[in-house]
Amino acid sequence: MTQRLWDALTEVQDPEMPVNLVDLGVIYGITEQNGVVDVELTFTAMGCPASEFILEDVRERLLRETGVNEVRVTVVWDPPWTVARMTEAGRDALESWGLAV
Amino acid sequence: MGTQAEFDQMIKSGELIESRNEMTPDYLKELKHTLIVSGDTELISAPAYYLAAKRAPSINAFMTGIAIIQDELAHAHIAYHILEELGEDQEKLIFSRDPKSFRYPYAFDVPLDSWTELVVANGMYDQAGFCLLGDIHDKCSYGPWKRGLNKVMAEENFHLRNGRTWMKRISAAGGSAKDELQRAVDWMFPLSVEWFGLPDSMKMHSTQLEYRLKGLTNDQLRQWWLSTVVPYCEQIGIKVPAHKEVRDGKDVWELDYPFPCEFDAAEKRWDFKQPISWDDVLIRWRARGPRNAEMVAMFQEEFHRFRKTHHQNGS
Repeated sequence: MTQRLWDALTEVQDPEMPVNLVDLGVIYGITEQNGVVDVELTFTAMGCPASEFILEDVRERLLRETGVNEVRVTVVWDPPWTVARMTEAGRDALESWGLAV
Repeated sequence: MGTQAEFDQMIKSGELIESRNEMTPDYLKELKHTLIVSGDTELISAPAYYLAAKRAPSINAFMTGIAIIQDELAHAHIAYHILEELGEDQEKLIFSRDPKSFRYPYAFDVPLDSWTELVVANGMYDQAGFCLLGDIHDKCSYGPWKRGLNKVMAEENFHLRNGRTWMKRISAAGGSAKDELQRAVDWMFPLSVEWFGLPDSMKMHSTQLEYRLKGLTNDQLRQWWLSTVVPYCEQIGIKVPAHKEVRDGKDVWELDYPFPCEFDAAEKRWDFKQPISWDDVLIRWRARGPRNAEMVAMFQEEFHRFRKTHHQNGS
């Protein structure tokens, strides 16, 4: 089940850059119990102007999965996000867009 | 540089122009003109949006508003930077021009006085910018600009998202919040429709199209804009004076009011019973609107004051 949830979040794009949240490395953990999903995520910057959109998108996408009745998102700042958290695919996506990471 | 005929052939075949010495003087002139309109539009959106972003209902919303302004300034920088490479003086363009000589859509001269009006601007003006720049990104014959627009398109998407999300939210809240949103749409929708300029029937010849500085005509761009904005507004329960018709199997968007018509900028009110001519519109545009001087002063005044005091301190 959690693998399915991770896959679902690969469909959620960052609102400002052409990369999905999983490849961006901002999703720290997903657990599920009796239809209640807990997500731990961070943002690339503390003053992230897109934070509200990201939270909305994560909730909305996970709620579309069968068996999910509730989504609780916790924003964490520890450990902090760095570019090292990006996957190879995420790096490639940003590089082809013109951003060296 | 080859002959004019060789140059025209190059443009027609879809090749990209990469440097100044490949251009004919006339192409250079048109390119510069197109870039100035683009740079001025992005630049002026910063003070226009800032004066409304100050009224954001939360820290988060304010942060998003400010991030959008930062994007717009960066987009302006792309255009002015290219102009500099083409021999213009960026500093003079931004800081030493008369406010009335800036070339941006009239819509920005009408004050955005609330967060609601700001998000409608994000939903409608940024959609207009998205159509215009998307077309240039797609078709532009000048390579450096075409490539520079890669990031711009993604960022404009973010602005649209802010506009649409908030418009939906405010509409869903109902009551006086929704009434305020409807009032904003009532005056901002026709201003955005006007944004795309003269109808094709009155504009027989376009050098910009010939040089592939853009790919779509004014009416095509206007139709594109209507095809995104009208269905969205209807979907969130907001009325707009336009509807869809199917003609020869194709969707055509028709306006429900005489276009163009009389606008009272001070009252932010259109008089749909008062059709006017395009000459009248051009007179209004050239005279500029209520906030033109104030907005240009916002970035010009401090620049000159700072220069002056620092010169005195140094001498």
